[in-house]
Amino acid sequence: MGKEKIKICEEFYDIMPPEYRELVDSSTYGKEGRGWKDVGVAKELIEEHSLCAGCPESIAFRYVLACLPNPEDTVMVGSTGCTSLVFPHVAVHNIHSLFGNQNAVASGLKRALAHRFPGKVKDVVVLAGDGATVDIGLDMTLQSWFRQEKFLTICFDNELYANTGGQESGLMQKGFVSKMAPAGKKFDKVRLPEIAEESGCHYVATLTVSKPNRVEKAIRQGVLIAREVGPTYIQLYTPCILEIGKQAMEGLQEMRDSEGPNERFAFKEYISEEAKAYLASLEKEKKPAAIPTQG
Amino acid sequence: MGKYRVLPGPEAFLPPSAACAGIVLPDPGQGHINGEIVHEDVAMEEAAKQFLMAKVPTVFPGPLVLWNWNEKAAKKATAIKALYDELKSHNPGALLIPMPDYRPKYPKINPEVEINPNHPNLTIWHNKIDVCMFVGVHCHQANLSLKIIRGGTNCYTIAMCAQAGHEDAMLSFRDATPEKIWKFVEAVRKAKASGVYANPNGVTVSKA
Amino acid sequence: MEANSVIGTVNKKGQKIVDPEYLFFEAPRQQYFMTGSEVVREAIRRASVDISVAYPITPQSEAAAMVGDLYVEGYVGDYFRGESEFAVMSQCAGASFGGARVFTTTSGPGTLRAYENFPMWAGSRLPILINVMVRGINSPLNIQPDTLELGMILDTGMLIWHAETAQELFDYLLKGYIVAEEPDVHLPIAVVIDGFFVSHTKDMVMIPSADLALTPYNPYRSPVPCMDMEVPPVRMMRDPFVMKSNYISYATHASWQQEIRAAIERSRKHTIRLIGGLIEEENSDADILIVSSGTAVAQGREAIRLLAEEGIRVGIVKVKTLRPFPHEEIRQATKNAKLIFVPEFNVVGWMAREIKAVIPDNHRVIEGPHVAGGMTLPPEVIVEEIKKVLAGKKEVVHG
Repeated sequence: MGKEKIKICEEFYDIMPPEYRELVDSSTYGKEGRGWKDVGVAKELIEEHSLCAGCPESIAFRYVLACLPNPEDTVMVGSTGCTSLVFPHVAVHNIHSLFGNQNAVASGLKRALAHRFPGKVKDVVVLAGDGATVDIGLDMTLQSWFRQEKFLTICFDNELYANTGGQESGLMQKGFVSKMAPAGKKFDKVRLPEIAEESGCHYVATLTVSKPNRVEKAIRQGVLIAREVGPTYIQLYTPCILEIGKQAMEGLQEMRDSEGPNERFAFKEYISEEAKAYLASLEKEKKPAAIPTQG
Repeated sequence: MGKYRVLPGPEAFLPPSAACAGIVLPDPGQGHINGEIVHEDVAMEEAAKQFLMAKVPTVFPGPLVLWNWNEKAAKKATAIKALYDELKSHNPGALLIPMPDYRPKYPKINPEVEINPNHPNLTIWHNKIDVCMFVGVHCHQANLSLKIIRGGTNCYTIAMCAQAGHEDAMLSFRDATPEKIWKFVEAVRKAKASGVYANPNGVTVSKA
Repeated sequence: MEANSVIGTVNKKGQKIVDPEYLFFEAPRQQYFMTGSEVVREAIRRASVDISVAYPITPQSEAAAMVGDLYVEGYVGDYFRGESEFAVMSQCAGASFGGARVFTTTSGPGTLRAYENFPMWAGSRLPILINVMVRGINSPLNIQPDTLELGMILDTGMLIWHAETAQELFDYLLKGYIVAEEPDVHLPIAVVIDGFFVSHTKDMVMIPSADLALTPYNPYRSPVPCMDMEVPPVRMMRDPFVMKSNYISYATHASWQQEIRAAIERSRKHTIRLIGGLIEEENSDADILIVSSGTAVAQGREAIRLLAEEGIRVGIVKVKTLRPFPHEEIRQATKNAKLIFVPEFNVVGWMAREIKAVIPDNHRVIEGPHVAGGMTLPPEVIVEEIKKVLAGKKEVVHG
């Protein structure tokens, strides 16, 4: 809606709780080049959350919201899980409807916004866990890509069902012992990034959230390419420290250990030829929406 | 079984919604008092009276008027503030408490400074609010709040609704525009000037 | 954003946006002879629909495909085929969350595959219009008319209107939007017809000019914030979890569910104004009444005619809206009846259960006759049932 509309009527400014005044006075809606460096400096778009202490998902969530290029005109779609405990406190409109239908909801939403606001940027971003993205919602995840729906899908991959207490998921590693895999998981981690590429995504990235610059670049590319070219997919490792037996301070190390060259979360990126051409055109025009260089 | 009336509670562990108890919303130009359809002017007089007789009259502005998202919202905000000022000059105990959004902000709200639709009773109880008015709250959230308040508190609820009104309030207006809110401000001024309603807190009342 | 500011303007397709009441009651109409599917197309042509999502399943496929033609012609804003009914209904939800007027259709097994979405639509106050063309539910596979699925969606929180004829189908599709989108209602609405009997047979229908269109949906009158980042509060989740294990969060959930039922009740006022009452009566002072909905009523009417020829006077009460259920209207209409027959196109007799639950002395209700699985319900079968019961009564009376 444009930053200028996110303000408090002057008659009521002084009675608003401070977190709302801060949202208006020092958040980064409409700020050029907003990014992860605003975290902890400017007012963030997450007010509070009830995730476990030290949960890597919470920092991933903060990075994502700090890096959206256009939060004042972005609508997010979530699904059931730990993320849905955070979403009520996120200061962009967001939708939870059912478990696993997030890419279907986003398809309808994006088309509605495109129809209602022709010529205006309205970004749609899906953010869901691995159970929602890969298991119960896989059909709708893939079909939205086949149809070339223009939104970014982010999967917070913690390799299990965390919110229900640590059950096996399709993105869990083979052999891992968990609830509902009492003798260890019998099949390989589903290779969704490769499937995404084959399914028509124009940008696919696999990474952990240990390096915020990398996260920022991926999120911005994911949103911008989805806006102009076609579907994009980002899979972020956000380990559930509770279910893999780590301490609150061990999440970052767990992510670092998992992103080595031969590890399952080694940084990987795929950009379609069409998307590459689009990114090159952005560089050339030096548009305000240009991608920050990786630092 | 007599006709259901929408009265201050505490009514029940889980009171019925007034609509399911047979209460029908007013048509344009009308309001309702306790579920009875009346001319809007009658509802204005009654609401003014309730406010002036209250120990802790309170206005709860919601997101649609707290946030300056269009010209109409800004105009409504001015009118609502004027209403509050009228109440405050009659009764220094009057309160203006915002409902900034609808998220389940639990259990961390400060009931002294805000109200949340998921547990509005906390704010009512804490501030001992006996008469309140909702304005600028999306209808769905207003209905949840109004019913929870009726269920668990003895607060008299008034709804200044921009759409079809609220049968879960004890008194409701509909189609609220900035002009209609100003008209209500005038009704309060007139009632004050009549001198009939003494400030229940016993504080000297300034002439309007 | 004012509701009436668009009246008199011309939409992208060149149709004039008119006051709904004018479109419904005053605009000149012309007679056509067309199938139910074609009627759906003509209603949606005039309905200012923003988004429609389709999926094939008999018998609704034809109508769903015709809406696609409307999209190509420019009458519908966007249209695509989803991957399953579950996905389709979620896509409809997404579009509705985003402020669009949405239309979709389904049938039988599709209704059940979609099922999880319906209470979500209602709980989220999404005024989606779904045209349900009922058919049998598997197994064994059955594509024929059967109303069993209708009994299963009664308490999803949707408004449910059951059209008897092609004319009612046309009118309910347009009027349904206006009632469902009222800010004090703002709920999904299922406009139901009996598959094949109404969808695939031709009937006379009076239709206003295609140059006229319904007022578009205004999402800013919604009782909940539209998810387009154009309306406060920006810190808004549709719909938030209130998941603490305590009395307050349970009370919020309970109140939320009550509010959905309250919204169904509020629809009465608007519905009565537009469709002329929740029931329709014919000779309802007779000792013997037939009470039902949909095609069963049409068959009941013919049975009445046959019985009248034999000097047996029977009346009929047609239930037009299943939700809200016209309990008081039915109580009044049946208060003098000694026998109440409830013919139904399903094996369980859910309509009879509904009626028995709201009237006094419900031993007066004769559950049936029933047919199922695509069987027709010849009027003679209703006649026979009524005569059989009457004969039985006489035997009792005469000892």
